[in-house]
Amino acid sequence: MSIDRKKIISAMSQIEVLGNDDGLNPGFNVFVNMMPAKFWNSFAERLTRRVPAGMQEVAEALLINAAHECGYHTGYGIITSDEWKAVVEPQIKKVPEDILHGAFAIFTAWGWAKSEIVELVPNERMVVRAYDYYESDVVAYGASSKHSAYMICGVCAAFMDLAYGGPYDASGKTGLRTFNCVQTKGIECGDEYGEFVVSKA
Amino acid sequence: MTSYRKTELELNKAFDPQSCRHIMEGNTVVLHCHHYATLYTQLAMDCGMLDAKALMAECSEDTWEEFLREYFRSRGVSSVRERIALAEQSYAAAGLGRMRVTCASPESGEVTLDHSHLDEGWIKKWGHYKSPVNFIGAGYISALFSAVFDLPARSFAVTEAEAIVCGAPRSRFIVVAR
Repeated sequence: MSIDRKKIISAMSQIEVLGNDDGLNPGFNVFVNMMPAKFWNSFAERLTRRVPAGMQEVAEALLINAAHECGYHTGYGIITSDEWKAVVEPQIKKVPEDILHGAFAIFTAWGWAKSEIVELVPNERMVVRAYDYYESDVVAYGASSKHSAYMICGVCAAFMDLAYGGPYDASGKTGLRTFNCVQTKGIECGDEYGEFVVSKA
Repeated sequence: MTSYRKTELELNKAFDPQSCRHIMEGNTVVLHCHHYATLYTQLAMDCGMLDAKALMAECSEDTWEEFLREYFRSRGVSSVRERIALAEQSYAAAGLGRMRVTCASPESGEVTLDHSHLDEGWIKKWGHYKSPVNFIGAGYISALFSAVFDLPARSFAVTEAEAIVCGAPRSRFIVVAR
């Protein structure tokens, strides 16, 4: 791997993101918001704990889907951005594998999760580990019986879609959901790190 | 002699290289996009098992009430005028839109959005919609009123009377004490 994660994280973590005169933040082909992680955690946790037991999986799948779709479109915006061209692109030698490693460096730089790819079988399987992530904050004491990193799950699958799912499709009709992801370990569940396994859907 | 001072929001933000988190005013903050916000909103709207729209607004209210209250406390901001100005700026800094509190009291208030992340993100993604979708904004406004007037959370009911997503030129919220 030719990607220098430290260099990317150092550069990309300094990007300033604040609303313009309209109070909006257009960038990477999307509108960007910056909110306390507590909001996202609160909604996901309260929703999945309040729905009837038989519906928890459905609620979780929908939360993961939101991140999957977001990760696909925003991920594409990131890897085609001026910032990417300046910082990451010069390091890319092997396509799309180095693009994937670069994407997870940015994933880390922007505070989504301190994460890296630990296993990659091109176009088949990817395993990501996250050593610190805001979604684990839903547990302040003890260990949960359910995994809660819905955002990381969705984005992991989305990044594989972008790498191996064919040309980017803005409509989301093709490419998106070529892969899916299952969380197999979680800090919120008492594990040392979160682990996410992506495979063909 | 008259002097004027413009109230300006200052946000302390830093990247912690150990945890790789962005910390703003003591809170972990995270960037997300309009796809994420609108899909979460749609999930709330489609949830038939509980009132997830109210849940979303409550989560927004709890998050922002804590943020704004602590911001005012740490900066020693006590005037209603300054608190409102800072809260409007905080909404914009978060990329959520341009907010104006047109009137406010511990009994009621009116708030408009000239621009809205949720509404314009929804239109960008799916086009216009028949009813308001900005539950995150409604929760923020509840939080704003609670924090400005030093009242507990859930002190105010907020209704979106007009919405950009429905085709209105601006969104308008009505606030009433519960």
